[in-house]
Amino acid sequence: MAETSVPPTTVDEPDEGGLRRSITGKQLFFYTLGDVLGSGIYVLIGLVAAVVGGAFWIAFAIGVSIAAITGTAYAELVTKYPQAAGAALYVNKAFRNKALTFLITVCFLSASFAAAGALADGFSSYFATLWEGPPALLVTLLFIGVLTVINFIGITESVVINMVMAFIEIAGLVIVLIIGIWFIAEGDADFGVLLDFQSRNLDGEPTSPALAILAGVALSFFAMTGFENTANVAEETIDPQRNFPRSLIGGMITAGVIYVLVSMAAALTVPTDTLAGSGAALLEVVEAGILPINTEFMSTLFSVIALIAITNTTLVAVVTQPRILYGMANEDVVPGVFSKIHPTRRSPWVGLLFSGAVVCALLVVGTFAPNVEGTPLIERLSLVTVLFLLFIYSLVIISCLKLRGQDEDEGTYRANTPLLFVGLLGNAAILYWSINDDPTSLIWCAGLVAVGVVLFLVEYVFGKRSRPPGVERGDPEAAQKQGDV
Amino acid sequence: MHVVVATDGSQQSLRAAKQLKSFADPAKISDISVVAVIRPLAAVAFADDLSSQDRRRADLEAGGFRKAAESSVETVAAVFDGWGPKVHKKVRAGSPANEIIKAAKQLNAGLVVVASGGRGISDTVLVGSTAQRVQHYAPCPVLVVRPAPKPRKK
Repeated sequence: MAETSVPPTTVDEPDEGGLRRSITGKQLFFYTLGDVLGSGIYVLIGLVAAVVGGAFWIAFAIGVSIAAITGTAYAELVTKYPQAAGAALYVNKAFRNKALTFLITVCFLSASFAAAGALADGFSSYFATLWEGPPALLVTLLFIGVLTVINFIGITESVVINMVMAFIEIAGLVIVLIIGIWFIAEGDADFGVLLDFQSRNLDGEPTSPALAILAGVALSFFAMTGFENTANVAEETIDPQRNFPRSLIGGMITAGVIYVLVSMAAALTVPTDTLAGSGAALLEVVEAGILPINTEFMSTLFSVIALIAITNTTLVAVVTQPRILYGMANEDVVPGVFSKIHPTRRSPWVGLLFSGAVVCALLVVGTFAPNVEGTPLIERLSLVTVLFLLFIYSLVIISCLKLRGQDEDEGTYRANTPLLFVGLLGNAAILYWSINDDPTSLIWCAGLVAVGVVLFLVEYVFGKRSRPPGVERGDPEAAQKQGDV
Repeated sequence: MHVVVATDGSQQSLRAAKQLKSFADPAKISDISVVAVIRPLAAVAFADDLSSQDRRRADLEAGGFRKAAESSVETVAAVFDGWGPKVHKKVRAGSPANEIIKAAKQLNAGLVVVASGGRGISDTVLVGSTAQRVQHYAPCPVLVVRPAPKPRKK
């Protein structure tokens, strides 16, 4: 595990090279790729296929493009403020509005909670293909529990393990691609399916291709989430002004191309209805038995790969939550107990436990709450995640535009302005459409935001006055980096 | 002799530094390097428990985890002020045990001082304790400073 070596940084001897960082551009690229790839495609491809039809690759292509444009805004802001990564801080710098900053922070936290829940549910779907015994809820709860313990111990901090995970995730998707190419080579492929749209939506009402795609884009957006976590490690990236934009956007574009190709392969090889009905849709592609290899062996292998991929992305989410809470505790906007660090393990254990509990509560509520319109838990939670993120992404793009001309130097990466407007419009359009289509998601969003508000009230009423004179509550400049919020 | 004193920002690491000072002969030590390791992928990359509240707040404003690590290093280094040996301050990033061992090798250290915070079962049961790994793989003798046993409450 000698991956993160650096020549020592000297504080007292600047001639030794000043601040040396430890993460190379290549490692950052794979960190982004692994973070993005794990989430959506394994979990969500069936749902997207269900709403769009055989042409669902278009939804992925559009979703990925909008996300990548948002990525350029992040890249620009990171090169301007490498030590102060995170949406909340950018928004704070742009608007100087404490309430808005708090809202963004809570949204980010909530998105992370919902994402972890959706991923846990996806995990249980693939897990069930290996062992059908335990009920899904039990698997998801245990999954979150184990990840919380792993994070407490802190064995996930190796950049090398991250790279290995990314390679495994890519390997799984390459298997799907090979199956697709094999299928085409055998001459069985009917390319017409790639332009096939559902004529009816999930409620059985007639729909148009444009609406079908829009519905798919909202869901496919979940597949791109995770890239914003890359900003967490910006501070430790070598030569961030050069490496960060390249690695982040390069990773996102690579992920996007893989997604589109995988969607096409899945659409060609498996009937859309089969994909739509499956919680582990990519497994259907492998089980179609197209490759002349033992199908049972391939299925097991693929399930394991999918489980690893989902675990990797969930781990990042579970690391992010206590980190956000830690930052908020330092700003005195949530109770100080969240800044408690375990004396030996150096983990923010209260934050870890609390986050795990919130995600578990989401899963339990999602399982037992009256089933709204028969929407599966995973779809509900992914939509909630996407709503939060679309809101955050839109504000990040606005902040990026608003902060133009400030804090720039010759090394600052500059995102393409017309593209940013396209991205902003795209984010806003999907956000509007998603809320319009499924207003119940807002109740879930409100519930999650309420968690943050309750924490604030607890701190407001019971919190010690630990601020030095002159520092106001909720001023993230005073607590900026520690939280990465 | 070059001594590497590691700090993770904990009170125990400050005690470890004081422990070294309490018995070692400053005439035999040429250099002391105080090393802090940032864990970029951890939930909290570096937590500084040593500085005052005001100092911590100022660090947060100025530059985040790296600043917090620098402050911890400074606090620990201050223990050796005027003691004799030349004091160097270093902040590295990566996996703590690896980086401490690497620093020891690069500096050709004659002793590594680490704190072991574990008091209860967490340290015995859980794998991957930094102090344990440093003991196993360090290129030189290691001083592991364990906390004093808790006085029994009646």
